[in-house]
Amino acid sequence: MIEVKGLTKRYGDLVALDQFDLTVSEGEIFGLLGPNGSGKTTAINCMLSLLKYSTGEINLFGEPMKSESYHLKRRIGVVMQNVAVFNELTVFENIDYFCGLYVPAKSERRLLVEEAIEFTGLADFRKFLPKKLSGGLLRRLNIACGIAHKPELIFMDEPTVAVDPQSRNHILEGIRELNRNGSTIIYTSHYMEEVEQLCSRIMIMDKGKAVAVGTKEELKAMIREGEKLTIDIYDLPIFVLDDIKKLDGLFQVNYSDYRLTARCTISGHHLISILDILRKANVDFGHIFTEPPTLNDVFLEITGKELKD
Amino acid sequence: MFWNIYSKRVLYSLRSRDILIWTWIFPVMLATLFFATMSSIDESGQLSEISLGIVDNMSFREDPYLYSTLESIEGDNDDKLFTLTIIDNVPEADRILTDGVVDGYILFQPDPKLIVVEDGLNQTIIRSVLEHYQHTKNAVNDMLLMNNGDYEIVSSALQNINYTEEISLAGNPPTDKVNYYYALLAMICMYGSFQGLTSVTLLQANLSPLGARTTMSPVKRFKMILFDLFGGITVHFCCTLFSVAYIIFVLKINFGNKLWLVLLTCFIGCLLGVSFGSVISVMSKLKEQAKIAILICVSMVCSFLSGLMVTGINYTVMQEAPLVAWLNPAARITDAFYCLYYYDSYDRYLINIGIILIMVVVMFAITSVFIRRQRYESI
Repeated sequence: MIEVKGLTKRYGDLVALDQFDLTVSEGEIFGLLGPNGSGKTTAINCMLSLLKYSTGEINLFGEPMKSESYHLKRRIGVVMQNVAVFNELTVFENIDYFCGLYVPAKSERRLLVEEAIEFTGLADFRKFLPKKLSGGLLRRLNIACGIAHKPELIFMDEPTVAVDPQSRNHILEGIRELNRNGSTIIYTSHYMEEVEQLCSRIMIMDKGKAVAVGTKEELKAMIREGEKLTIDIYDLPIFVLDDIKKLDGLFQVNYSDYRLTARCTISGHHLISILDILRKANVDFGHIFTEPPTLNDVFLEITGKELKD
Repeated sequence: MFWNIYSKRVLYSLRSRDILIWTWIFPVMLATLFFATMSSIDESGQLSEISLGIVDNMSFREDPYLYSTLESIEGDNDDKLFTLTIIDNVPEADRILTDGVVDGYILFQPDPKLIVVEDGLNQTIIRSVLEHYQHTKNAVNDMLLMNNGDYEIVSSALQNINYTEEISLAGNPPTDKVNYYYALLAMICMYGSFQGLTSVTLLQANLSPLGARTTMSPVKRFKMILFDLFGGITVHFCCTLFSVAYIIFVLKINFGNKLWLVLLTCFIGCLLGVSFGSVISVMSKLKEQAKIAILICVSMVCSFLSGLMVTGINYTVMQEAPLVAWLNPAARITDAFYCLYYYDSYDRYLINIGIILIMVVVMFAITSVFIRRQRYESI
């Protein structure tokens, strides 16, 4: 459905996208994950033919995407990072306006607008002006304006920025439903949890480049790191700590503030081995935590910096 | 498609606070202010009847012309300017002067002399009339001496003939007042620039998120801006009609007998204002508020130079800087209104309308060149 090859976009000396490649198949929720300034929005704006680019090729629905490809634009929905609605029009009028740009027939449009209102949970606010809406509701309106015409391909650029948890869950569930109804979705975010929950495939971007692509399992398999262990221990003798450090498949073993932390390689589970050592040495322990590796760990290992930087 | 874009644009404009204030409320307030100012000027300019006493003595009886002259002078509305009272003696005259019954009295000694207790407009008028009478009387005496007492020669020489008369060719009464309102209408037309600015800002991807969003829609840019501008022009024309109706029906200002052409001129003026705003908006990446400030300043300066605040300044500009006058859109609109009011010929009116339409076409052409671009280096 989307095929991008060798896309390069420069802003003067700054390379915003550097030989960027992307392939998205029909029915996917494809996540673009990266810190602010990594090139996610630029990539989307280039794919939508809003920005000029230096080199590269962009095909949507098997056709080259150009600014005058109106027949392709008709099949696309866009939810922009910045809320793009008219502050002087009501919720209903806003959705009707944007839907009307795609669907001229008034009767058909009316049904679609009503569906979009129901879908985004804005039924009680249809006569509200946007300035009367909370941040979360405003984001929902932004989404309703982008999806009311039931597009086959939807670009969602950070649709949950500055949204309360309740609205965020509502939005994420809505996106899943859109996908179940047949829409292919390109979803950008710098919230790794969202992307991890939502997307069937994920591309991690940094400095305009795709640094890794795959399912979340595939991405996590790319790194040596497995789960992270944390055990509360009041008193841990040094010889016991040394024994633990000698275990295979463990690294970054530390004891401080009455807490033992250790990182495991992806190959196996080491909690039982550690607990055996503690029991044999008669060391009492409290709470035990294990955390599976996150996309942040993937990003950290690949780029050497935190995703949240 | 058309109705969707057009109707939403009309709704947007009717609910926009900036547009409401600057194009609906401000012009009506300004018109009301003009009306109040000019009414007070009119009232202060109207002469009230002046009460004048004349002391009856021998010298007065020897010079009956002064009395008849004073009696014959008419003020506003063809009323007599002076109410004359013959007073028997000076003490009586002093008493009624002190009591305020008369504004002053004339005592012949033997030349007429004005006695007053205070200086004011009425006293100044009496003094002026008295001096004029005295000068004329002296001139008549001199001329009689020079012409051996031939009254006919003297009489014809003293006739005060006015060789010019101010008339309106279009049959409307000559007045300066209406020019202020014409300049005001021109200013309202220029404020259509807000609509042009809004249309471009809302549809240009590099100027607003809404612009970026609409650029991604499957509607051609030219269609989009055209339909949107129709909405803006409609609202602004309605706003101009509202101001015209207010000026005509509430303030009772007479715009002459070619009202339909006045309305047509308003419509063309609205086109000019909207095109002006769109071209300013499309050519600059300044923030919207900065552009609004620029539009207000330019509109006010153009309106000022067309006579909004000082009557006759448009003629001065035409004499001193004719190019500025011809290129000043507000001056062209004002002059078109002026031609409709004063002239029965349409030659000058059509020249003004022609210039305005050329400006409209040029500015819309520039706008369309910029707005048709759909891909940007950055947004």
